[in-house]
Amino acid sequence: MNESVFVVIAAYNESTCIAEVAREVRSICPNVVVVDDGSTDGTYAAARRTATWVLRHVINRGQGAALQTGIEFALARRAAYVVTFDADGQHDPADIEPMLDPIRDGAVEITLGSRFLGSAVDLPPGRRLVLKGAVLFTRLFNGVRLTDAHNGLRAFSRRAAECVHIRADRMAHASEIIDIVRRSGMPFREVPVRIRYTAYSMAKGQSHFAALRIAFHYLIGRLFP
Amino acid sequence: MNGFQLVILAVLAGLSVATVVSLLRRWLSLGLAVGLFILWIGGAVLAIRPATATDIARLLGIGRGADLVLYCSVLLMLVGFFMVYIRIRRLRAHLTQLVREIAIMRAEGPDDGD
Repeated sequence: MNESVFVVIAAYNESTCIAEVAREVRSICPNVVVVDDGSTDGTYAAARRTATWVLRHVINRGQGAALQTGIEFALARRAAYVVTFDADGQHDPADIEPMLDPIRDGAVEITLGSRFLGSAVDLPPGRRLVLKGAVLFTRLFNGVRLTDAHNGLRAFSRRAAECVHIRADRMAHASEIIDIVRRSGMPFREVPVRIRYTAYSMAKGQSHFAALRIAFHYLIGRLFP
Repeated sequence: MNGFQLVILAVLAGLSVATVVSLLRRWLSLGLAVGLFILWIGGAVLAIRPATATDIARLLGIGRGADLVLYCSVLLMLVGFFMVYIRIRRLRAHLTQLVREIAIMRAEGPDDGD
């Protein structure tokens, strides 16, 4: 049943955990596509050990660019469903099936993970504040009401994935994807997911000030597509 | 006409020639070339008769011709920076497309040996 599901993982300097993340995901879905975004720490070699396919950006272009590369690759391989999944071990592979169920049932074309409907283990208060700010930003500028506007766990039907054309190379892609979801007019739903915060994932994550920069780049991208 | 004015006129003449060459080689669009010519001609007029700036400034309610030139220079600089920024954004997008094509072409899968 999962033969037609492709899980896309964009990775930048994640040699520490990418093999384990890909292995865990591959235990659920056989098609794991890791896109190494110009890493310099051996991420590509680590991913080759356990991922199904590994692609490599010869220079770093950003998570948005890497996800788009993975999505296009999956569609070229006739994926019926495309899931995006983070490389830092924050996501739980057990959440992939619940993300796909509403799409397979035909209820929606897109599901977006929400840690605030699910659980966010060890979420620091500062990060919670920034994420809530992102929810407000999304409501104001995207016109979409979400409980979690910056969650990398998403699932698309093929039809929905074909509508995804991420132009924001870096972190503003998260807001751009929400824009794409809204403009597509396709039904979507938030699904509770579990996010695991570890010292490693927090160190790899965006700083609070980076949130302002991401918002700025998103707005510039909206003004000058 | 003093030496400084002659130098300015010589520079503007050179820029005009460069603009024509760039237009003929299609490095510049016609619109941009026309805009640049207007700029070079305006600069030449001010170089030949500096009092023109003062006359225009007074018409616009600005005190001095030098202030008008300063304001216009700052405005043009901002426009220039903005155009360069937009051009860089487009180049980045093209670069990403190129990197993507290479990544997909070289993808390694389960059938590829180590």
